[in-house]
Amino acid sequence: MFSLPMLIHPEALESMIAMHHMIEAEGLTKNYGNVTAVDRISLNVAEGELFGLLGPNGSGKTTMIRMLTGQVRPTSGSARVMGLDVVENPVRVREVVGIIPEQETPPSFLTAGEYLRFVARIRNLDGIDEQCDRWFDLLEFSDKRDVLCKDLSRGTRQKLMFAQAFLHEPRLVLIDEPLINLDPIMQRKVKDFLRGYTRDGGTVFLSTHILGIAEEICDRIGIIHNGRLLYTGPVDDLTGSGRHLESFFLDLVRGDAGA
Amino acid sequence: MTPVPDLFLAMMKEEWRIHSTVFGGIWFGLFPCAIAVFAFIGSLALPFFADAVPYTTVALLALIFFLLAGVMVGSFGLMGREFMNRRFGQASLIAYASRSLPVSERRIFAAFLVKDTIYYILLYIFPFTVGFAAATPFISLDPGYILLAFVSLTLAFLIGLSAVCFLSTLYARSIGLLAGAVVALALAALPLGGAAIFPPYSFFLAPGIEPLALSLLFILVPAAISVLFVTADYPDRTKRFRNNLDPLADLLRPLGSEHFIAKDALDLLRSEGGAGKIVFSFLLPVGLIWVCLGILVRFTPGIDPLLMFAVLLGVISATIYNWLTEFDSFSSYTFLPVEVSQVIDGKLKSYALLSLLPVVLIVVVAAVSSGAGAVLPALATFIPVSAYTLAVTVYLTGLHPNVMLYHAGVFVRYVLATSPALLLIIFASIIDPRYAYGSLLLLLPAALLLGRGRRKWQAWDMPGY
Repeated sequence: MFSLPMLIHPEALESMIAMHHMIEAEGLTKNYGNVTAVDRISLNVAEGELFGLLGPNGSGKTTMIRMLTGQVRPTSGSARVMGLDVVENPVRVREVVGIIPEQETPPSFLTAGEYLRFVARIRNLDGIDEQCDRWFDLLEFSDKRDVLCKDLSRGTRQKLMFAQAFLHEPRLVLIDEPLINLDPIMQRKVKDFLRGYTRDGGTVFLSTHILGIAEEICDRIGIIHNGRLLYTGPVDDLTGSGRHLESFFLDLVRGDAGA
Repeated sequence: MTPVPDLFLAMMKEEWRIHSTVFGGIWFGLFPCAIAVFAFIGSLALPFFADAVPYTTVALLALIFFLLAGVMVGSFGLMGREFMNRRFGQASLIAYASRSLPVSERRIFAAFLVKDTIYYILLYIFPFTVGFAAATPFISLDPGYILLAFVSLTLAFLIGLSAVCFLSTLYARSIGLLAGAVVALALAALPLGGAAIFPPYSFFLAPGIEPLALSLLFILVPAAISVLFVTADYPDRTKRFRNNLDPLADLLRPLGSEHFIAKDALDLLRSEGGAGKIVFSFLLPVGLIWVCLGILVRFTPGIDPLLMFAVLLGVISATIYNWLTEFDSFSSYTFLPVEVSQVIDGKLKSYALLSLLPVVLIVVVAAVSSGAGAVLPALATFIPVSAYTLAVTVYLTGLHPNVMLYHAGVFVRYVLATSPALLLIIFASIIDPRYAYGSLLLLLPAALLLGRGRRKWQAWDMPGY
């Protein structure tokens, strides 16, 4: 963890930190009818950080990502992603970030190769042959390039969604359940890639209910339950104090459920 | 071995759950009520138009409508697998599960046919008959017509359902076989009289054993053949395609939205059914309409069959929009820098391109049936009707026409927005065919509705899961 230089005035320091926040959410809330999916969440994610939002199924992780990427409008609160207001500039936000949704699958009747070209055309990217080749090679599915997406296995579809999110070389990527459907070898590869990506200055906001991922690769985590953010802090603080993330998580969530 | 009744019950539950999940239980439950109300109001209006359009003609039109409903239900049941996948992820239907269930394809298909028969009689025909029955005391119609209407409408619906199953079974085995059967059936039908081609109508005009038996023959023989020779069209190997998106998109670049149009084209060409979809969902109903209009003219001399055909073709052409949205969902784009209006624009351009098919069709039909002079009035009727019906569909349903039109509230608004305008054109053209040019006025509301529809769906917030 970095330590803060003491010679800088706190206000200036705050301003500096704010400039480097890739994600700033303030009181973000989303109601679906009578159900509050996300309840007044405020959080920041700094540039170069790998932030993991952890929570049980249905805790509001996906809704949080959808709000941060302008896919759904918040009921109240505000959020800025890479300096852009997500309500005022939802399409611009999705231009600059990469998103890997949890549930969505690529279009059935395009081949894997065609799908990447389709996304490239939407993003106005030219000369992406090398980029496509790189992703097919990195995720080891070059042999599936000409196969219709509907005929791909779930794991291969997830690889394809991974590739589309990084095609425009974004500085920030939001991933909903990053390792879903991937085999252990590919999981290792993806985890290494994400660590390398943040080392090179990229920022990752991922949501997952698999605690091992967070413990292994995240710099900082947030724990969400019933739409409320119960905790944010560095992973090292937990592991350094000798606590296991799993027991910490279970205590927190069970305590909240019992409250 | 799972008995067919068990399969049938499971399929009935499944069908109800699909509809109630997609549309919401109450709104879907109200759909038959909406049909009953429209049938009631329509029946009450019959005496006002009795001079221009006799009851027998109205009955023929209703029978044709239910025949087409049978065709549509059959087409969707047989080709709707990808739509289900897009809507429900990898969820499958029992009808598509012959490889994972210890039941033969024949038994599954037999249960599927029985399920469609019962389910859609309850969903469409029964409520329609109830609405008609409720109106009979007010229009001094013999109550005997209620049972007659129910039976003949059911026969018409089942002939449509059975025919499309038969033809699709042939198509699954060989396109040549399908083409040969269509030609053979057409040749066999030529020497027959009008009513003999369509026995439910003969039955309605003169109830008796002969038209009833002929109707049952038209239902049971094709259904039996399709059950006996059914084949599950599952590809045994993964299909591969070279990159067709880029060449297509480059070709379409002058139109704008080229990648969306190219994707629509590939969806259409590569999806289940492929060209068969055009045959079953478009050319077959259109051909039936043309044949039936030929019969209608004999009973109602005032009708200009070509203009009537242009109006009906315009309405049916709007279903091209359903094809274009069937395998697509805006949720596929929400994580990309795309707006709903951009996707709708792409669909509208794809629609315009595909509309060349009905345009060519109507030009050929007009030129062949009435001479070159008839082409312009037919086009002047077809294009505005098609544009207006499409605009209403887009405004009311956005990118989800296959789902939303079963929502009772949306369905009612769709019928109220389209039927008065279309009936006005039909009746006006009966008075004087030149009045059909008045349909050009529909272009204005069509443009307005499309503009408002784009804005409306742009502001739409994706529902949560």
